[in-house]
Amino acid sequence: MEAARAQNHQKRVAPKEQPPQQEKRAKKRKPWAPGLLLLTSILLFLFGFFVVPMLYILYLSFISTDNLSGEGASYSLSNYITLFTDSYYLNSLWVTVKISLLSSLVALVLGYPIALTMAKASAKIRALITLLIASPLLVSIVVRNFGWYLLLLPNGTVNTLLMDLGLISKPMNLLFSEVGVIIGLSNAYLPFMVLAIVTSLYNIDPSLEKASAILGASPLRNFLSITLPLSLPGIVSGCVLVFSLSMSAYVTPALMGGANVPVMPVVVYDQINNLLQWTFGSALSYVLLGTTLLSVFLFTRGFEKSKFKEVFR
Amino acid sequence: MNAIGKLRGALAVIGIIYILIPLIAVIPASFTKASYPSFPPEGFSFQWYTKILERPEFIDAFMNSLQFAVLAALFAVIFGTLGALAIAKYDIPGKSAITSFLTAPLSVPQLVLGIALLIYFTPLMLAGTSIGFLISHIIICIPYVIRLVLTGLSGFDYNLEKAGAILGANPWTVFWKITLPLIRPAIISGGLFAFLTSFDNVTVSLFMISPETRTLPIEIFSTMQDAYNPIVASVSSVVIFISVILIVILEKIHGVGKVFGGGHH
Repeated sequence: MEAARAQNHQKRVAPKEQPPQQEKRAKKRKPWAPGLLLLTSILLFLFGFFVVPMLYILYLSFISTDNLSGEGASYSLSNYITLFTDSYYLNSLWVTVKISLLSSLVALVLGYPIALTMAKASAKIRALITLLIASPLLVSIVVRNFGWYLLLLPNGTVNTLLMDLGLISKPMNLLFSEVGVIIGLSNAYLPFMVLAIVTSLYNIDPSLEKASAILGASPLRNFLSITLPLSLPGIVSGCVLVFSLSMSAYVTPALMGGANVPVMPVVVYDQINNLLQWTFGSALSYVLLGTTLLSVFLFTRGFEKSKFKEVFR
Repeated sequence: MNAIGKLRGALAVIGIIYILIPLIAVIPASFTKASYPSFPPEGFSFQWYTKILERPEFIDAFMNSLQFAVLAALFAVIFGTLGALAIAKYDIPGKSAITSFLTAPLSVPQLVLGIALLIYFTPLMLAGTSIGFLISHIIICIPYVIRLVLTGLSGFDYNLEKAGAILGANPWTVFWKITLPLIRPAIISGGLFAFLTSFDNVTVSLFMISPETRTLPIEIFSTMQDAYNPIVASVSSVVIFISVILIVILEKIHGVGKVFGGGHH
């Protein structure tokens, strides 16, 4: 134990070639054993109830039968093969990706002006906007979805208004459709988009815009050549966040889309809770996770290899 | 320039209204006189609030939600504060990896976490029990406590602890009289955040419930799936009311935006 610690200590100090004075201070550092003791409870808790369950369903996804007692259970890829050869699941995966992409796009279009306004506003206004957009995140998603029911049902606010204005003759199906799910998801995760973009807008050196304005660039040119490209990292991380949250959202698609929009989370829930197909449901869960990670990787990679790669440093 | 500024402001207002409109619609709708909720409401009455009292399932669910949220927040605060203290105070090898691990439950979709816990709990006889429910909620609350207490400890002056020790206080006294009071605001905001996270949760809860452990969001969720019941408007308004009170307190202590903006990665 003591030897291991000494070795560890050396490993940490050696490559940096610290000056003697700092080394002396490093030696005087507190022992970290009490810290490890404090960490024990939380590490054990998360290991037992988070890591092990996650690994357990990964293991189950490779078992070909639902007989969990072990009899007749055998390792195979059959769950994954079924999933990738059945057009129902492939279509569900495609619908999920499509809806998540469109939700990110809506959140980006609606969120960018908010972020831009926050970046230009006084500290007081900025704090107020932050409070207004972040607070809904602390209200249960079912309540926000119920608000959309009031607004979007056939006899809801939006349809009534449009019919009174004579713009439509019969109510539109806004709820229980892909449009409804996209509205619900973009609404739920828009605050994350704004906060991500605002962070990258703060990092832009204001003298850049001043300089280009002095050199005669119009405000529009200024925005397109300076602000927008330099805020790309925020846009990318905002889109990644909204996309991944949308990919695995269950409540909003279940309430705003229902049976008409069979996204993966709704399909997975059905397999686990109604059909009790645990091994297949586990495989679906990991395919959902894998698809999300792969999409995010490709998307981020695409931007980092583009002509804007410098801004991602 | 001014025209562009106005356009930007107008678009921002539209975006903010889009974020807030579903919540804005719920409260007036709950006071409707009609048998059918609508926004804007028809007339004014408290009938949908008094009707909550005739529905024991909502009252029971509300009490369950409160109890689970208080307990989940309490355990998350204990685990999280100990963890954050250890990370901030001691030079533990692999510190950043440990921090990422402790906040990892935030990066795993709640749907997948719920499934994993249901399947894991079943042979352990924990599925559908209060203990299982509580464990699942503690897991989703821990990352917020860790994050908030770590932020609270980042400006902590350890010389104060040293001074206390030099003046003869034992480690226990130093903790109670110096460390704890100084990080109390961070612990309180962590606890409030954990409370709301648990109180609002639907996705993980869906896999943990039993007839005895139904919570308020679950009750709202299943009522909405069955029929368009006007009582949901008044129950939802109660949820909004509770959330607003806690948000005001949180904003005073910590700033609501910081928790979500402080690196969701």
